[in-house]
Amino acid sequence: MNPIECQGLTKRFGSTIALDNVTLSLPAGEPIALIGPNGAGKTTLLSLLCGFIKPTSGDVTVFDESPGARELSGRLSALPQDALLDPRISVGRQLRLFAKLQGMSNVLAREEVERVLHLVDLQDSIDTKPSNLSHGMRKRIAIAQALLGSPKLVLLDEPTAGIDPPNAKMIRDLIREQSGHTTFVVSSHNLDELERLCGSVVYLEKGKLISVGSVSDDTQDDYLTVRMGTVVESEFIQAVESIPGISAITKTARGDYLIKTLSDMQASASLMQLFVDKGWRYRQISRGKSLEERLYGDQS
Amino acid sequence: MRILVLAQDEVLRLLSTRRGLIALVGFLLIWIAVLRYGILPVAALIDDAQLSGLVEIILSGLGIEDVRSWPTPELAVYWVITLYLLPFFALMASADQTASDRSRGTLRYLVMRCSRVEIFLGRFLGQCIIMLLVVLVTLASVLLVIMFYSPDNLAPALAKTPLIAVNLVIVVAPYVALMALVSVLARSARQATLYAFIIWISVSLLVGYLQAKFGPLTLLDWALPGSQIGQLLRLSNWDTLSFAIIPVVHTAFFLGIGAVLMRQRDL
Repeated sequence: MNPIECQGLTKRFGSTIALDNVTLSLPAGEPIALIGPNGAGKTTLLSLLCGFIKPTSGDVTVFDESPGARELSGRLSALPQDALLDPRISVGRQLRLFAKLQGMSNVLAREEVERVLHLVDLQDSIDTKPSNLSHGMRKRIAIAQALLGSPKLVLLDEPTAGIDPPNAKMIRDLIREQSGHTTFVVSSHNLDELERLCGSVVYLEKGKLISVGSVSDDTQDDYLTVRMGTVVESEFIQAVESIPGISAITKTARGDYLIKTLSDMQASASLMQLFVDKGWRYRQISRGKSLEERLYGDQS
Repeated sequence: MRILVLAQDEVLRLLSTRRGLIALVGFLLIWIAVLRYGILPVAALIDDAQLSGLVEIILSGLGIEDVRSWPTPELAVYWVITLYLLPFFALMASADQTASDRSRGTLRYLVMRCSRVEIFLGRFLGQCIIMLLVVLVTLASVLLVIMFYSPDNLAPALAKTPLIAVNLVIVVAPYVALMALVSVLARSARQATLYAFIIWISVSLLVGYLQAKFGPLTLLDWALPGSQIGQLLRLSNWDTLSFAIIPVVHTAFFLGIGAVLMRQRDL
Protein backbone atom coordinates (compact mmCIF):
# COMPACT_ATOMS: atom_id res chain seq x y z
CA MET A 1 0.00 0.00 0.00
CA ASN A 2 1.20 3.52 -0.82
CA PRO A 3 1.99 5.93 2.02
CA ILE A 4 -0.90 8.24 1.12
CA GLU A 5 -4.34 6.87 0.31
CA CYS A 6 -7.45 9.03 -0.07
CA GLN A 7 -10.82 7.59 -0.96
CA GLY A 8 -13.72 9.89 -1.82
CA LEU A 9 -12.24 12.59 0.37
CA THR A 10 -14.49 15.62 0.83
CA LYS A 11 -14.11 18.62 3.09
CA ARG A 12 -16.67 21.37 3.46
CA PHE A 13 -16.28 24.64 5.35
CA GLY A 14 -19.87 25.70 5.82
CA SER A 15 -21.38 25.86 2.34
CA THR A 16 -17.97 25.94 0.63
CA ILE A 17 -16.57 22.70 -0.73
CA ALA A 18 -12.82 22.91 -0.25
CA LEU A 19 -12.14 19.34 -1.42
CA ASP A 20 -14.59 17.40 -3.51
CA ASN A 21 -14.57 13.60 -3.60
CA VAL A 22 -10.82 13.20 -4.10
CA THR A 23 -9.52 9.67 -4.59
CA LEU A 24 -5.77 9.51 -4.65
CA SER A 25 -2.89 7.12 -4.01
CA LEU A 26 0.62 8.56 -3.76
CA PRO A 27 3.70 6.34 -3.71
CA ALA A 28 6.96 6.74 -1.81
CA GLY A 29 9.99 7.88 -3.78
CA GLU A 30 10.59 11.02 -5.80
CA PRO A 31 9.17 14.34 -4.54
CA ILE A 32 5.53 14.87 -5.48
CA ALA A 33 4.27 18.28 -6.59
CA LEU A 34 0.88 19.43 -5.39
CA ILE A 35 -0.32 22.24 -7.61
CA GLY A 36 -3.38 24.25 -8.43
CA PRO A 37 -4.60 27.82 -8.33
CA ASN A 38 -5.56 29.59 -5.10
CA GLY A 39 -8.54 27.89 -3.50
CA ALA A 40 -7.84 24.62 -5.33
CA GLY A 41 -7.75 22.67 -2.06
CA LYS A 42 -3.99 22.09 -1.71
CA THR A 43 -3.69 23.30 1.86
CA THR A 44 -6.95 21.55 2.77
CA LEU A 45 -5.59 18.25 1.44
CA LEU A 46 -2.31 18.67 3.35
CA SER A 47 -4.20 19.67 6.51
CA LEU A 48 -6.35 16.52 6.22
CA LEU A 49 -3.25 14.37 5.78
CA CYS A 50 -1.69 15.93 8.88
CA GLY A 51 -4.86 15.57 10.95
CA PHE A 52 -5.23 19.33 11.52
CA ILE A 53 -8.78 19.09 10.21
CA LYS A 54 -11.21 16.20 9.80
CA PRO A 55 -12.87 15.18 6.53
CA THR A 56 -16.57 15.80 6.03
CA SER A 57 -16.73 12.44 4.28
CA GLY A 58 -14.40 9.89 2.76
CA ASP A 59 -11.33 8.14 4.08
CA VAL A 60 -7.71 9.16 4.33
CA THR A 61 -4.78 7.12 5.59
CA VAL A 62 -1.08 7.83 5.89
CA PHE A 63 1.11 4.74 6.23
CA ASP A 64 -2.14 2.86 6.77
CA GLU A 65 -2.94 4.96 9.86
CA SER A 66 -5.53 7.65 10.40
CA PRO A 67 -4.03 11.16 10.39
CA GLY A 68 -3.19 12.25 13.91
CA ALA A 69 -2.49 8.68 15.07
CA ARG A 70 0.42 8.50 17.51
CA GLU A 71 1.99 5.78 15.34
CA LEU A 72 2.72 8.50 12.77
CA SER A 73 4.86 10.51 15.19
CA GLY A 74 8.35 10.63 13.71
CA ARG A 75 7.23 9.02 10.42
CA LEU A 76 5.12 11.87 9.05
CA SER A 77 6.14 15.48 9.36
CA ALA A 78 5.07 18.75 7.80
CA LEU A 79 5.72 22.39 7.17
CA PRO A 80 2.22 23.79 7.71
CA GLN A 81 1.34 26.98 5.92
CA ASP A 82 1.48 30.11 8.11
CA ALA A 83 2.26 28.16 11.29
CA LEU A 84 4.72 29.94 13.56
CA LEU A 85 6.90 28.80 16.39
CA ASP A 86 6.43 30.49 19.75
CA PRO A 87 8.27 33.80 19.27
CA ARG A 88 9.22 33.99 22.96
CA ILE A 89 11.12 30.73 23.27
CA SER A 90 14.47 29.91 21.69
CA VAL A 91 14.54 27.86 18.51
CA GLY A 92 16.67 25.17 20.14
CA ARG A 93 14.33 24.66 23.08
CA GLN A 94 11.25 24.37 20.90
CA LEU A 95 12.91 21.92 18.53
CA ARG A 96 14.23 19.88 21.47
CA LEU A 97 10.66 19.65 22.79
CA PHE A 98 9.48 18.35 19.40
CA ALA A 99 12.31 15.81 19.34
CA LYS A 100 11.50 14.61 22.85
CA LEU A 101 7.84 14.27 21.91
CA GLN A 102 9.02 12.03 19.08
CA GLY A 103 10.51 9.79 21.75
CA MET A 104 14.12 10.96 21.83
CA SER A 105 16.14 11.24 25.03
CA ASN A 106 17.53 14.62 26.13
CA VAL A 107 20.96 13.86 24.71
CA LEU A 108 19.61 12.50 21.43
CA ALA A 109 17.18 15.42 21.09
CA ARG A 110 20.04 17.90 21.52
CA GLU A 111 22.15 16.13 18.87
CA GLU A 112 19.21 15.84 16.48
CA VAL A 113 18.35 19.53 16.79
CA GLU A 114 21.96 20.45 16.02
CA ARG A 115 21.87 18.13 12.99
CA VAL A 116 18.72 19.59 11.44
CA LEU A 117 19.79 23.16 12.13
CA HIS A 118 23.09 22.35 10.40
CA LEU A 119 21.10 21.06 7.41
CA VAL A 120 19.44 24.45 7.00
CA ASP A 121 22.69 26.27 7.84
CA LEU A 122 21.22 27.87 10.96
CA GLN A 123 23.19 26.14 13.68
CA ASP A 124 24.16 29.55 15.09
CA SER A 125 20.50 30.38 15.68
CA ILE A 126 19.94 27.61 18.21
CA ASP A 127 19.65 30.06 21.12
CA THR A 128 17.83 32.75 19.14
CA LYS A 129 14.15 33.47 19.57
CA PRO A 130 12.07 33.19 16.36
CA SER A 131 10.97 36.81 16.76
CA ASN A 132 14.59 37.85 16.13
CA LEU A 133 14.90 35.91 12.85
CA SER A 134 14.07 37.01 9.31
CA HIS A 135 11.14 35.50 7.40
CA GLY A 136 13.44 33.30 5.33
CA MET A 137 15.31 32.08 8.40
CA ARG A 138 12.05 31.26 10.18
CA LYS A 139 10.97 29.26 7.15
CA ARG A 140 14.24 27.32 7.18
CA ILE A 141 13.81 26.65 10.91
CA ALA A 142 10.29 25.38 10.19
CA ILE A 143 11.73 23.05 7.56
CA ALA A 144 14.38 21.93 10.04
CA GLN A 145 11.64 20.92 12.51
CA ALA A 146 10.04 18.87 9.75
CA LEU A 147 13.27 16.92 9.32
CA LEU A 148 13.66 15.98 13.00
CA GLY A 149 14.09 12.23 13.29
CA SER A 150 14.40 11.78 9.50
CA PRO A 151 10.70 11.10 8.82
CA LYS A 152 9.67 8.92 5.90
CA LEU A 153 7.13 11.42 4.58
CA VAL A 154 7.33 15.22 4.73
CA LEU A 155 4.53 17.50 3.54
CA LEU A 156 5.69 21.01 2.65
CA ASP A 157 3.04 23.66 2.12
CA GLU A 158 4.57 26.42 0.00
CA PRO A 159 8.09 26.08 1.41
CA THR A 160 9.55 28.88 -0.72
CA ALA A 161 6.62 31.31 -0.70
CA GLY A 162 7.69 34.86 0.09
CA ILE A 163 11.37 34.17 0.54
CA ASP A 164 14.36 35.47 -1.37
CA PRO A 165 16.10 33.49 -4.16
CA PRO A 166 19.15 32.36 -2.10
CA ASN A 167 16.94 30.96 0.66
CA ALA A 168 14.60 29.38 -1.90
CA LYS A 169 17.56 27.72 -3.60
CA MET A 170 18.83 26.40 -0.28
CA ILE A 171 15.42 24.88 0.43
CA ARG A 172 15.24 23.27 -3.02
CA ASP A 173 18.76 21.86 -2.60
CA LEU A 174 17.82 20.50 0.80
CA ILE A 175 14.72 18.75 -0.55
CA ARG A 176 16.81 17.27 -3.35
CA GLU A 177 19.47 16.02 -0.89
CA GLN A 178 16.95 14.50 1.51
CA SER A 179 14.70 12.94 -1.10
CA GLY A 180 16.82 9.78 -1.18
CA HIS A 181 15.34 8.57 2.09
CA THR A 182 12.32 10.86 2.54
CA THR A 183 9.30 11.30 0.30
CA PHE A 184 8.35 14.96 -0.02
CA VAL A 185 4.97 16.28 -1.08
CA VAL A 186 5.52 19.91 -2.05
CA SER A 187 2.74 22.40 -2.58
CA SER A 188 3.77 25.52 -4.48
CA HIS A 189 2.72 28.06 -7.07
CA ASN A 190 6.21 28.08 -8.53
CA LEU A 191 5.83 25.59 -11.39
CA ASP A 192 9.43 25.99 -12.57
CA GLU A 193 10.61 25.02 -9.14
CA LEU A 194 8.32 21.99 -8.94
CA GLU A 195 9.23 20.88 -12.44
CA ARG A 196 12.90 20.76 -11.52
CA LEU A 197 12.32 19.20 -8.13
CA CYS A 198 9.52 16.68 -8.47
CA GLY A 199 8.95 13.44 -10.31
CA SER A 200 5.18 13.47 -10.32
CA VAL A 201 2.46 16.05 -10.05
CA VAL A 202 -1.00 16.16 -8.48
CA TYR A 203 -3.19 18.86 -9.98
CA LEU A 204 -6.21 20.18 -8.07
CA GLU A 205 -8.70 22.78 -9.19
CA LYS A 206 -11.73 24.06 -7.30
CA GLY A 207 -11.40 21.20 -4.85
CA LYS A 208 -11.45 18.51 -7.52
CA LEU A 209 -8.61 16.25 -8.53
CA ILE A 210 -7.90 17.06 -12.17
CA SER A 211 -4.89 14.85 -12.83
CA VAL A 212 -2.06 12.81 -11.34
CA GLY A 213 0.94 12.10 -13.52
CA SER A 214 4.60 12.41 -14.27
CA VAL A 215 6.21 15.85 -14.43
CA SER A 216 8.07 14.85 -17.62
CA ASP A 217 5.19 13.70 -19.80
CA ASP A 218 6.48 11.52 -22.68
CA THR A 219 3.30 12.10 -24.68
CA GLN A 220 4.46 15.69 -25.25
CA ASP A 221 7.66 14.71 -27.09
CA ASP A 222 6.54 16.38 -30.31
CA TYR A 223 7.13 19.76 -28.68
CA LEU A 224 10.28 21.70 -27.93
CA THR A 225 10.38 24.58 -25.49
CA VAL A 226 13.09 27.11 -26.29
CA ARG A 227 14.19 30.09 -24.22
CA MET A 228 16.24 32.52 -26.26
CA GLY A 229 18.65 35.31 -25.54
CA THR A 230 18.03 38.59 -27.32
CA VAL A 231 16.58 37.97 -30.79
CA VAL A 232 14.20 39.84 -33.08
CA GLU A 233 10.98 37.94 -32.52
CA SER A 234 9.54 38.13 -36.04
CA GLU A 235 12.87 37.16 -37.62
CA PHE A 236 13.26 34.24 -35.20
CA ILE A 237 9.74 32.90 -35.78
CA GLN A 238 10.10 33.20 -39.56
CA ALA A 239 13.44 31.37 -39.52
CA VAL A 240 12.18 28.56 -37.31
CA GLU A 241 9.01 28.08 -39.33
CA SER A 242 11.15 27.56 -42.44
CA ILE A 243 12.91 24.53 -40.91
CA PRO A 244 11.59 21.27 -42.36
CA GLY A 245 9.85 19.14 -39.73
CA ILE A 246 8.61 22.10 -37.70
CA SER A 247 4.89 22.61 -38.06
CA ALA A 248 4.19 25.53 -35.70
CA ILE A 249 5.82 28.00 -33.32
CA THR A 250 4.12 30.14 -30.69
CA LYS A 251 5.39 32.43 -27.97
CA THR A 252 4.22 31.56 -24.47
CA ALA A 253 3.16 33.98 -21.77
CA ARG A 254 6.54 33.45 -20.08
CA GLY A 255 8.43 34.49 -23.22
CA ASP A 256 9.51 30.97 -24.20
CA TYR A 257 8.92 29.64 -27.72
CA LEU A 258 6.82 26.50 -27.99
CA ILE A 259 7.75 24.65 -31.18
CA LYS A 260 5.66 21.78 -32.56
CA THR A 261 7.81 19.27 -34.44
CA LEU A 262 7.38 16.09 -36.37
CA SER A 263 10.57 14.65 -34.89
CA ASP A 264 12.04 16.37 -31.85
CA MET A 265 15.58 14.99 -32.34
CA GLN A 266 15.83 16.11 -35.94
CA ALA A 267 14.22 19.45 -35.16
CA SER A 268 16.65 19.99 -32.29
CA ALA A 269 19.60 19.41 -34.57
CA SER A 270 18.16 21.76 -37.19
CA LEU A 271 17.50 24.43 -34.59
CA MET A 272 21.05 24.23 -33.25
CA GLN A 273 22.39 24.62 -36.77
CA LEU A 274 20.12 27.65 -37.25
CA PHE A 275 21.45 29.24 -34.05
CA VAL A 276 25.04 28.68 -35.19
CA ASP A 277 24.34 30.10 -38.63
CA LYS A 278 22.56 33.19 -37.27
CA GLY A 279 24.78 33.65 -34.23
CA TRP A 280 21.76 33.46 -31.91
CA ARG A 281 22.30 32.52 -28.27
CA TYR A 282 19.78 30.28 -26.61
CA ARG A 283 19.31 30.02 -22.88
CA GLN A 284 17.47 26.73 -22.59
CA ILE A 285 16.05 24.01 -24.83
CA SER A 286 13.86 21.30 -23.35
CA ARG A 287 11.79 18.48 -24.78
CA GLY A 288 8.04 18.69 -24.39
CA LYS A 289 5.92 21.46 -22.96
CA SER A 290 6.74 23.11 -19.67
CA LEU A 291 4.48 22.16 -16.75
CA GLU A 292 2.87 25.58 -16.97
CA GLU A 293 2.10 25.14 -20.69
CA ARG A 294 0.66 21.70 -20.12
CA LEU A 295 -1.61 22.89 -17.33
CA TYR A 296 -2.56 26.36 -18.45
CA GLY A 297 -1.37 26.63 -22.07
CA ASP A 298 -4.82 26.29 -23.57
CA GLN A 299 -6.21 29.03 -21.31
CA SER A 300 -3.91 31.77 -22.66
CA MET B 1 5.21 10.05 29.04
CA ARG B 2 4.49 12.72 26.45
CA ILE B 3 2.11 14.34 28.93
CA LEU B 4 4.99 14.67 31.39
CA VAL B 5 7.27 16.13 28.70
CA LEU B 6 4.59 18.70 27.86
CA ALA B 7 3.95 19.46 31.55
CA GLN B 8 7.66 20.01 32.12
CA ASP B 9 7.77 22.30 29.09
CA GLU B 10 4.81 24.27 30.41
CA VAL B 11 6.66 24.95 33.68
CA LEU B 12 9.85 25.92 31.84
CA ARG B 13 7.82 28.11 29.47
CA LEU B 14 6.59 30.14 32.41
CA LEU B 15 10.07 30.51 33.83
CA SER B 16 11.78 31.33 30.54
CA THR B 17 9.41 33.84 28.98
CA ARG B 18 9.26 37.49 29.92
CA ARG B 19 5.49 37.33 30.26
CA GLY B 20 5.73 34.35 32.61
CA LEU B 21 8.42 35.99 34.69
CA ILE B 22 6.44 39.24 34.89
CA ALA B 23 3.40 37.24 36.10
CA LEU B 24 5.53 35.50 38.72
CA VAL B 25 7.26 38.67 39.89
CA GLY B 26 3.86 40.40 40.00
CA PHE B 27 2.44 37.64 42.15
CA LEU B 28 5.49 37.66 44.42
CA LEU B 29 5.14 41.41 44.97
CA ILE B 30 1.46 40.95 45.80
CA TRP B 31 2.39 38.12 48.10
CA ILE B 32 5.02 40.18 49.91
CA ALA B 33 2.33 42.83 50.45
CA VAL B 34 -0.11 40.17 51.69
CA LEU B 35 2.54 38.81 54.03
CA ARG B 36 3.63 42.19 55.33
CA TYR B 37 0.27 43.91 55.63
CA GLY B 38 -2.05 40.91 55.94
CA ILE B 39 -0.67 37.79 57.54
CA LEU B 40 1.84 39.41 59.92
CA PRO B 41 -0.44 42.02 61.56
CA VAL B 42 -3.48 39.75 61.68
CA ALA B 43 -1.43 36.93 63.13
CA ALA B 44 -0.01 39.32 65.74
CA LEU B 45 -3.52 40.50 66.56
CA ILE B 46 -4.72 36.93 66.99
CA ASP B 47 -1.72 36.17 69.15
CA ASP B 48 -2.60 39.05 71.47
CA ALA B 49 -6.31 38.26 71.40
CA GLN B 50 -5.64 34.68 72.48
CA LEU B 51 -4.57 36.07 75.84
CA SER B 52 -7.58 38.33 76.15
CA GLY B 53 -10.10 35.77 74.96
CA LEU B 54 -11.15 37.75 71.89
CA VAL B 55 -9.57 35.28 69.53
CA GLU B 56 -12.76 33.36 68.72
CA ILE B 57 -14.54 36.57 67.74
CA ILE B 58 -11.74 37.65 65.38
CA LEU B 59 -11.36 34.22 63.85
CA SER B 60 -15.04 33.64 63.32
CA GLY B 61 -14.99 36.97 61.46
CA LEU B 62 -12.35 35.42 59.20
CA GLY B 63 -14.29 32.20 58.94
CA ILE B 64 -12.02 30.11 61.19
CA GLU B 65 -13.74 28.62 64.20
CA ASP B 66 -11.11 26.40 65.79
CA VAL B 67 -7.81 28.23 66.08
CA ARG B 68 -6.38 25.69 68.48
CA SER B 69 -6.24 23.15 65.69
CA TRP B 70 -3.68 25.38 63.93
CA PRO B 71 -0.11 25.27 65.27
CA THR B 72 0.32 29.03 64.71
CA PRO B 73 -2.00 31.93 63.85
CA GLU B 74 0.19 32.74 60.81
CA LEU B 75 -0.77 29.43 59.19
CA ALA B 76 -4.43 29.92 60.05
CA VAL B 77 -4.46 33.33 58.34
CA TYR B 78 -2.44 31.94 55.43
CA TRP B 79 -5.10 29.24 54.98
CA VAL B 80 -7.89 31.82 54.80
CA ILE B 81 -6.09 34.19 52.44
CA THR B 82 -4.80 31.57 50.00
CA LEU B 83 -8.15 29.77 49.78
CA TYR B 84 -9.54 32.97 48.27
CA LEU B 85 -6.45 34.43 46.57
CA LEU B 86 -5.03 31.39 44.76
CA PRO B 87 -8.11 30.65 42.63
CA PHE B 88 -7.90 34.18 41.19
CA PHE B 89 -4.22 33.76 40.49
CA ALA B 90 -4.97 30.41 38.84
CA LEU B 91 -7.60 32.02 36.62
CA MET B 92 -5.16 34.70 35.49
CA ALA B 93 -2.01 32.62 35.20
CA SER B 94 -3.42 29.60 33.39
CA ALA B 95 -5.56 31.40 30.80
CA ASP B 96 -3.23 30.74 27.88
CA GLN B 97 -2.81 26.98 27.95
CA THR B 98 -3.50 26.43 24.25
CA ALA B 99 -5.22 29.61 22.98
CA SER B 100 -2.33 31.60 21.53
CA ASP B 101 -0.60 28.43 20.30
CA ARG B 102 -3.73 27.67 18.30
CA SER B 103 -4.06 31.13 16.76
CA ARG B 104 -0.33 31.22 15.95
CA GLY B 105 -0.34 27.71 14.46
CA THR B 106 2.21 26.36 16.94
CA LEU B 107 -0.23 23.61 17.94
CA ARG B 108 0.14 22.15 14.44
CA TYR B 109 3.79 21.43 15.14
CA LEU B 110 2.81 19.65 18.35
CA VAL B 111 -0.04 17.54 16.95
CA MET B 112 2.36 16.05 14.43
CA ARG B 113 4.10 14.46 17.41
CA CYS B 114 1.48 13.77 20.05
CA SER B 115 -2.28 13.57 20.39
CA ARG B 116 -4.45 16.59 21.07
CA VAL B 117 -5.59 15.12 24.38
CA GLU B 118 -1.97 14.66 25.43
CA ILE B 119 -1.32 18.34 24.67
CA PHE B 120 -4.46 19.34 26.58
CA LEU B 121 -3.67 17.24 29.65
CA GLY B 122 0.06 18.02 29.54
CA ARG B 123 -0.56 21.75 29.63
CA PHE B 124 -3.13 21.29 32.45
CA LEU B 125 -0.70 19.21 34.48
CA GLY B 126 2.03 21.78 33.90
CA GLN B 127 -0.20 24.55 35.22
CA CYS B 128 -1.06 22.44 38.28
CA ILE B 129 2.66 21.96 38.94
CA ILE B 130 3.12 25.73 38.65
CA MET B 131 0.32 26.23 41.19
CA LEU B 132 1.98 23.68 43.49
CA LEU B 133 5.25 25.60 43.21
CA VAL B 134 3.43 28.84 44.03
CA VAL B 135 1.84 27.17 47.07
CA LEU B 136 5.20 25.82 48.22
CA VAL B 137 6.95 29.19 47.79
CA THR B 138 4.23 31.07 49.67
CA LEU B 139 4.15 28.41 52.36
CA ALA B 140 7.93 28.66 52.69
CA SER B 141 7.62 32.42 53.18
CA VAL B 142 5.13 31.89 56.00
CA LEU B 143 7.35 29.23 57.57
CA LEU B 144 10.23 31.71 57.48
CA VAL B 145 8.06 34.19 59.36
CA ILE B 146 7.14 31.50 61.91
CA MET B 147 10.81 30.54 62.28
CA PHE B 148 11.64 34.17 63.00
CA TYR B 149 8.78 35.06 65.35
CA SER B 150 7.86 31.76 67.02
CA PRO B 151 10.55 29.13 66.35
CA ASP B 152 8.95 26.72 68.85
CA ASN B 153 5.99 26.34 66.50
CA LEU B 154 8.08 25.63 63.43
CA ALA B 155 8.02 21.83 63.74
CA PRO B 156 4.21 21.50 64.07
CA ALA B 157 3.79 24.11 61.32
CA LEU B 158 6.08 22.10 59.03
CA ALA B 159 4.05 18.99 59.78
CA LYS B 160 0.97 20.81 58.59
CA THR B 161 2.40 21.93 55.24
CA PRO B 162 1.65 18.73 53.26
CA LEU B 163 -2.00 19.00 54.28
CA ILE B 164 -2.17 22.64 53.21
CA ALA B 165 -0.31 22.09 49.94
CA VAL B 166 -2.44 19.11 48.90
CA ASN B 167 -5.65 20.92 49.79
CA LEU B 168 -4.74 24.12 47.98
CA VAL B 169 -3.74 22.31 44.79
CA ILE B 170 -7.03 20.40 44.89
CA VAL B 171 -8.89 23.69 45.42
CA VAL B 172 -7.26 25.42 42.43
CA ALA B 173 -7.40 22.39 40.10
CA PRO B 174 -10.95 23.09 38.84
CA TYR B 175 -10.03 26.71 38.09
CA VAL B 176 -7.03 25.55 36.06
CA ALA B 177 -9.25 22.96 34.34
CA LEU B 178 -11.86 25.62 33.56
CA MET B 179 -9.14 27.76 31.97
CA ALA B 180 -7.90 24.72 30.02
CA LEU B 181 -11.42 24.32 28.66
CA VAL B 182 -11.95 27.97 27.70
CA SER B 183 -8.43 28.13 26.28
CA VAL B 184 -9.52 25.53 23.72
CA LEU B 185 -12.33 27.85 22.61
CA ALA B 186 -10.40 31.13 22.72
CA ARG B 187 -7.77 32.66 20.47
CA SER B 188 -5.91 34.55 23.21
CA ALA B 189 -5.42 34.56 26.97
CA ARG B 190 -7.58 37.67 27.25
CA GLN B 191 -10.42 36.02 25.34
CA ALA B 192 -10.10 32.88 27.48
CA THR B 193 -10.39 34.95 30.67
CA LEU B 194 -13.44 36.70 29.24
CA TYR B 195 -15.07 33.36 28.38
CA ALA B 196 -14.36 32.07 31.90
CA PHE B 197 -16.10 35.07 33.46
CA ILE B 198 -19.07 34.71 31.09
CA ILE B 199 -19.41 31.03 32.02
CA TRP B 200 -19.04 31.86 35.70
CA ILE B 201 -21.67 34.59 35.69
CA SER B 202 -24.06 32.52 33.54
CA VAL B 203 -23.84 29.50 35.84
CA SER B 204 -24.24 31.74 38.93
CA LEU B 205 -27.36 33.34 37.46
CA LEU B 206 -28.75 29.95 36.42
CA VAL B 207 -28.15 28.48 39.87
CA GLY B 208 -29.79 31.53 41.47
CA TYR B 209 -32.78 31.22 39.15
CA LEU B 210 -33.21 27.49 39.78
CA GLN B 211 -32.85 27.95 43.54
CA ALA B 212 -35.49 30.68 43.47
CA LYS B 213 -37.84 28.60 41.34
CA PHE B 214 -37.46 25.18 42.94
CA GLY B 215 -36.21 26.05 46.43
CA PRO B 216 -32.80 25.19 47.93
CA LEU B 217 -31.19 22.30 46.09
CA THR B 218 -28.05 20.89 47.70
CA LEU B 219 -26.65 19.70 44.39
CA LEU B 220 -26.81 23.21 42.93
CA ASP B 221 -24.91 24.56 45.95
CA TRP B 222 -21.87 22.68 44.64
CA ALA B 223 -22.28 23.66 40.99
CA LEU B 224 -19.60 26.36 40.94
CA PRO B 225 -15.89 25.73 41.58
CA GLY B 226 -14.90 26.96 45.03
CA SER B 227 -18.34 26.39 46.53
CA GLN B 228 -16.71 24.19 49.19
CA ILE B 229 -14.28 26.89 50.35
CA GLY B 230 -16.62 28.17 53.04
CA GLN B 231 -16.75 24.67 54.55
CA LEU B 232 -12.99 24.24 54.27
CA LEU B 233 -12.40 27.34 56.41
CA ARG B 234 -13.92 25.52 59.37
CA LEU B 235 -11.51 22.59 59.07
CA SER B 236 -7.79 22.28 59.61
CA ASN B 237 -6.87 18.61 59.54
CA TRP B 238 -6.99 15.82 56.98
CA ASP B 239 -10.78 15.94 57.28
CA THR B 240 -10.48 18.83 54.80
CA LEU B 241 -10.13 16.12 52.14
CA SER B 242 -13.70 15.05 52.82
CA PHE B 243 -14.64 17.95 50.51
CA ALA B 244 -12.06 17.00 47.85
CA ILE B 245 -14.67 15.13 45.85
CA ILE B 246 -16.31 18.43 44.84
CA PRO B 247 -13.25 20.01 43.15
CA VAL B 248 -12.25 16.62 41.76
CA VAL B 249 -15.65 16.25 40.09
CA HIS B 250 -15.48 19.84 38.80
CA THR B 251 -11.98 19.21 37.43
CA ALA B 252 -12.98 15.95 35.73
CA PHE B 253 -16.05 17.64 34.25
CA PHE B 254 -14.11 20.56 32.77
CA LEU B 255 -11.29 18.34 31.55
CA GLY B 256 -13.75 15.92 29.94
CA ILE B 257 -15.53 18.65 27.98
CA GLY B 258 -12.23 20.35 27.15
CA ALA B 259 -10.68 17.12 25.85
CA VAL B 260 -13.68 16.44 23.60
CA LEU B 261 -13.55 19.99 22.20
CA MET B 262 -9.80 19.76 21.76
CA ARG B 263 -10.21 16.62 19.68
CA GLN B 264 -12.95 18.09 17.53
CA ARG B 265 -11.71 21.60 16.77
CA ASP B 266 -9.89 22.35 13.53
CA LEU B 267 -6.37 23.63 13.88
